[in-house]
Amino acid sequence: MENSAELQRFLEQEKQKAMVSEMVGKITNVCWDKCITSTPGSKFSSSESTCLTNCAQRYVEMSVLIMKRFQSMQ
Amino acid sequence: MDPFSSPAPSSGSSGPSPEALMDQVKTQLAQAYAEEFLETVRSKCFAKCITKPGTSLSGSESSCISRCVERYIEATGIIGRALFSSPR
Repeated sequence: MENSAELQRFLEQEKQKAMVSEMVGKITNVCWDKCITSTPGSKFSSSESTCLTNCAQRYVEMSVLIMKRFQSMQ
Repeated sequence: MDPFSSPAPSSGSSGPSPEALMDQVKTQLAQAYAEEFLETVRSKCFAKCITKPGTSLSGSESSCISRCVERYIEATGIIGRALFSSPR
């Protein structure tokens, strides 16, 4: 039925969007703790913003590496 | 109309229209996201700004909290861009 296919597609899209939001939220959470070590200022220092960017990318690389290791142990 | 009631169904079908259902889902997802985000900000900013709770919020604690909220929102943007707009 047309309605049901449209709803399925919509739910799948919303699920993907929610997963992306969750990942960004989780990474922001851990990288804030790693990178923002002093009292928050009126703007980030360049080392703080660089740290945040690096942190996010290293976290994702780590996730990929962990999956590979884990799968190779199955 | 509140986000949890649906408009009158069209073409005599029973139950909410697909559009109304989709709107409800989007609204609820947005609300759940906002609540989770706010809880994270509360937790982070309390940790950074309220080191020794007194009998009231001091001026420096209040400004720290304001800056903290802005910085956390900014950090969320930085993370989003780091992950989704820099091809390597």
